[in-house]
Amino acid sequence: MLKIRNLYAYYGSVTALSGVTCHIKEGEIVALIGANGAGKTTLLNAICGLVRKKGEVAFQGRDISGLSPERLVGLGISQVPEGRQLFAPMTVAENLELGAYLRAGRRARSEVASDLERIFGLFPVLQERQTQIAGTMSGGEQQMLAIARALMARPKLLLLDEPSLGLAPLVVENILATISRLKFEGMTLLLVEQNARAALKVAERAYVLETGRIIMSGNAQDLLADRQVTRAYLGRDYKEFTEGR
Amino acid sequence: MRQPQFEAITPEELELLQLERLQATLTRAYRQVRFYRQRFDAAGLTPESVRSPADLARFPCTTREDLSENYPYGLFAVPLKDIVRIISSPGTTDRPLVVGYDRQDVKLWLDLLARLYTAAGVTPEDIVQLVIPPGLANWRRDLMAGAEYLGASVIPPATLNFAKELMVMRDYKTSVLVTTPPLARHLLTVMDRMGLSPAELSLKKVLLVAAPLAAAVRREIETRLQVKIATAYGITEVMGPGLAYSCPADLGFHFSADHFYPEIIDPETGAVLPPGEEGELVITTLSTVAFPLVRFRSGDRTCLVADPCPCGRTLVRLGEIRGRVDELFSVGGIKVHPDQVRRLLEDMLGGHPPKFHWRVDTEEGLEILDLELIVEEDFFSDEIKALEGLCRQVRRHLQDHLGINSRVTLRELGEA
Repeated sequence: MLKIRNLYAYYGSVTALSGVTCHIKEGEIVALIGANGAGKTTLLNAICGLVRKKGEVAFQGRDISGLSPERLVGLGISQVPEGRQLFAPMTVAENLELGAYLRAGRRARSEVASDLERIFGLFPVLQERQTQIAGTMSGGEQQMLAIARALMARPKLLLLDEPSLGLAPLVVENILATISRLKFEGMTLLLVEQNARAALKVAERAYVLETGRIIMSGNAQDLLADRQVTRAYLGRDYKEFTEGR
Repeated sequence: MRQPQFEAITPEELELLQLERLQATLTRAYRQVRFYRQRFDAAGLTPESVRSPADLARFPCTTREDLSENYPYGLFAVPLKDIVRIISSPGTTDRPLVVGYDRQDVKLWLDLLARLYTAAGVTPEDIVQLVIPPGLANWRRDLMAGAEYLGASVIPPATLNFAKELMVMRDYKTSVLVTTPPLARHLLTVMDRMGLSPAELSLKKVLLVAAPLAAAVRREIETRLQVKIATAYGITEVMGPGLAYSCPADLGFHFSADHFYPEIIDPETGAVLPPGEEGELVITTLSTVAFPLVRFRSGDRTCLVADPCPCGRTLVRLGEIRGRVDELFSVGGIKVHPDQVRRLLEDMLGGHPPKFHWRVDTEEGLEILDLELIVEEDFFSDEIKALEGLCRQVRRHLQDHLGINSRVTLRELGEA
């Protein structure tokens, strides 16, 4: 579904990604894990056209490397950004309607209404709180709302940036269950997580990023047990590799 | 097919998967192994230099000598505490070649072995008997573990005499025999001697490993045992068997190109040769974690066959293994370098440089090293007994150190 080849991304003169190649197949949950600053969010932003980049990005066989973020949403790629980025002073319902901002016209209106139904089925708590001001909800509920808002654009591929950040363990479980359910409904997901354990539990495959390069990939189950992955987080010392030799 | 999503992958998907894994492997090798960092730096290359799998051709090759020089752990890419298996193979010098596996590598290795067995038509219902000589310790362990992983009933390799092995084969109703081509031929001669006919056995398949299989030998075994034959190709430095395996169509060895990247090079110039042209097989690991190998020169002479296989596997195939590009030779599947024999003899002759001739001979199907030692005045002994003792000693040494059977004769200098 998504194919990325030799992708470079820059912040000013800083190279944040140096030649990343990866892919996501339809219906998969793929996790992107790695330490702070490894380039995980940059990769999501590069896919969404939010940072300066060089390289090939193809979505459903079509080159999308030069497209604007709005065009990408129209094609079916939505991002749930880190820190939710909700419209805090607005109500839950208003936030959801804004998620469907690309869809205008009478016909779209009825579609949006039926999408709302479906989303309330997925997140009953949002239905109860339609009129609540988004900023006053708990972290977990806000995360649900952020995901729901992204779904209103009817994405084919959903990019999730740190959905578990700052949430209590029980709430994290809840979010993970939601992610699994989305997959069950046919969604394709790319999940960025610092909480590798959580990400590898729901994902089928994962890529491990380390300072702008993928250093490993594989089945989530296998990577969960791998010490290299732990090391990618805790930082490594060359000495560790040569000790006792 | 054990893993159709990979064994029958489309060429486009495979290319992307290879590139992903290749870039990750080169990055880990560069960041974690000093040898590779120095090599790449010296060539003015970084892992970023590979933008498509074909770019790998710009990278320097790794040889068995490089492995020896970094003995024992110099090429490991993870700390020793991550390593769960350390295996050695004889190599070409007096230092063995050491390869490490971490947990993920062991799992990959089992999956590859299961591919091999499945392609050979072996199922969990089969009774698999392994008759593999102790000198091929790595093949013994690998093929046993793989058959167990598949779920077959496994009769591990034993050090029984061949008549006993055949008795077990008959009485335990072995359906799959795993052995080497020379041992299979030897078993035929023992069967003749015992008056055992193939009809008394339950054998359906024979998997022949560790040595190239000549077409004539194959026909002989197939007709006399009335079985289907499968084969496999592997080298210990690159995970052993499972690297490449035959399929029911039997048109070469399907190479696990989703985990290992094959190239054929001209052994003289190093140039990469197109499919169909014969040269030296060079292998780069794409998935192994503990021991990444970048462009390892196998020494085996073969070619890549890219046209479609009727079995449905899309993985590229290795053609026939047509010998070596170096001096290594095989005695019953055990790889030997002439220098190893020379060093052994030199030790025994108290540092005296030996003169000798050798060739690989067959005795009742078994391969032996036929060694002719030139007797010089310096160690000439009139006593027949002492000379006999010398021959015995050389034989024992070759058995102990290299695990090979030999016949040793002495010849006086100048004798025709």
